[in-house]
Amino acid sequence: MRWRLWLLMAPALLWLVAIFAAPLLHYAWLSTQAQSVLTGLEPRPVGAEQWLRLWNDARFWQDTWQTLRFGAASVGLEMVLGLAMALLLHQPLKGRGPLRTISLLPWALPTTVMALGWRWIFNDPYGPINQLATRLGLGGIPFLSDPAITWMASVWADTWKTTPFVALLLLAGLQTIPADLYEAAALEGASGWQSLRRITLPLLTPYLLIAVLFRLAQALGVFDLIQVLTGGGPAGSTESLALYAYLNAMRFLDFGYSATVMLGSFAVLVVVAAIAALAFRVGRSTPGEVR
Amino acid sequence: MARLALLVWSLGPMLWQLYTSLRPTEALTGELHGAASWTLSHYQQLLQGDPPFLLYLFNSAVVGATSTALTLALAVPCAYGLSRIGRTASRGLSLLVAAAAAFPAVLLFLAMLEVARDWHLANNLLALSLPYAGLCLPLAILLLQASFRDLPLELEEAAVMEGMGLWQRLRWVLLPLMAPAIASASLLIFIFCWNEYPIALTWLSRSDLLTLAPAMARIAGSSVYTIPYGAFAAATVLGSTPLILLMLVFQRQIISGLTQGAIKG
Repeated sequence: MRWRLWLLMAPALLWLVAIFAAPLLHYAWLSTQAQSVLTGLEPRPVGAEQWLRLWNDARFWQDTWQTLRFGAASVGLEMVLGLAMALLLHQPLKGRGPLRTISLLPWALPTTVMALGWRWIFNDPYGPINQLATRLGLGGIPFLSDPAITWMASVWADTWKTTPFVALLLLAGLQTIPADLYEAAALEGASGWQSLRRITLPLLTPYLLIAVLFRLAQALGVFDLIQVLTGGGPAGSTESLALYAYLNAMRFLDFGYSATVMLGSFAVLVVVAAIAALAFRVGRSTPGEVR
Repeated sequence: MARLALLVWSLGPMLWQLYTSLRPTEALTGELHGAASWTLSHYQQLLQGDPPFLLYLFNSAVVGATSTALTLALAVPCAYGLSRIGRTASRGLSLLVAAAAAFPAVLLFLAMLEVARDWHLANNLLALSLPYAGLCLPLAILLLQASFRDLPLELEEAAVMEGMGLWQRLRWVLLPLMAPAIASASLLIFIFCWNEYPIALTWLSRSDLLTLAPAMARIAGSSVYTIPYGAFAAATVLGSTPLILLMLVFQRQIISGLTQGAIKG
């Protein structure tokens, strides 16, 4: 009986191994090779040379910093806004159904489509935000041409697209919290803020954790948005790790190093996800809060 | 108040695109003042372009449909097996599948590039469903397994008593009950495939085979120094419309699919 169940699962599991595990193993091998224009695009073993190069590559570390900054800012914003959106969509208001659908629309759009749209919205001086700013006498904001600002513009666009997804995950969590908990709290004279902190947030923790981990993994692999919105510029200030790996393969035709950068960014991702999961576990087991 | 803010936040950027797409270029850069003037020229340009813009939408629909079919063919049996295999095995496997679901697909593009090159699968729309099915499987398995587990076991036991084999039970008893869950999962898979970018970018180079996402990036990169934003905006409007319609028609299935996935996944 059991072997038949395994037989049913085998095709999908093998497929997953082929699509997810095999590439990572292949990269591990490729990262010990030089395969670039210099070698005639043929792989040639070089030992740990690529990894040393990665370690000393200022551009890799700068992109790591940029990717972490982007990930922390966008995931943080998305959690706060997503929770607010979920709380709003949870309330029994008029037009709740249509509002849920409308707020989810940004999430459904292809990233390249919405990134191109935002490029126009951020345009200096013709985009709507800058037209408004000019009319108010604030002058133009160089959203896409100032290294200090452009990364925030990319966070803004990412937040616009993915907050609805976070909100829906959290909304699912809110729906599992029994309403009488809130009624009991209200009877005891708890304010809205108190019941949010004492009831909603603790019970929502598993959902927050799922949302944070999932969004972190996606944000640290950001690619589509950056490529279309800024192309990594200005002056490389928004270049993400995934974009750097992509450029190494497609523009510099340096496949060995591209694989090394891929594995390097995967390592960054694993470390950050582990830290986030650990932080949640610690935060959860801290007693003081529950009284 | 809060509802209005949410509406403006969600719809504002899209309405701005719609507005832009209907305005002549001179009006956008402020060279044309006064009288409101409107134009459909940006849309005409796109629809008569080479290749015509609708071809991208068609290509995306083809890739989305074949990938969804392949994903389901693999995911349904796997989800059933996972829901019946017993606690320890299913726990470990589910965790791995969930990790795969979160994995950023862009990190696979280099390997996919080599697959496409070595097996001569580049510029083949149908072959694109091979990696796409792999990318969508984790989500599909997680969603469907949760729904399989919700079906009462007694139902299957009764079917066994009737002398139905595994295949018959799946086909005649379980799948009909799974229809809503399968519909939700299909929609989410379809949306993912419609939107996928990095793999499509590496597999497709012929302009008449591009799907929407890489076509859009190519349009975006085509002219850096001029500001053809009317054409850009028309492209974003046309590119968004099919999915917005899909969302509006199937809003209940999509939202329940996402929330179910969160509760049980």
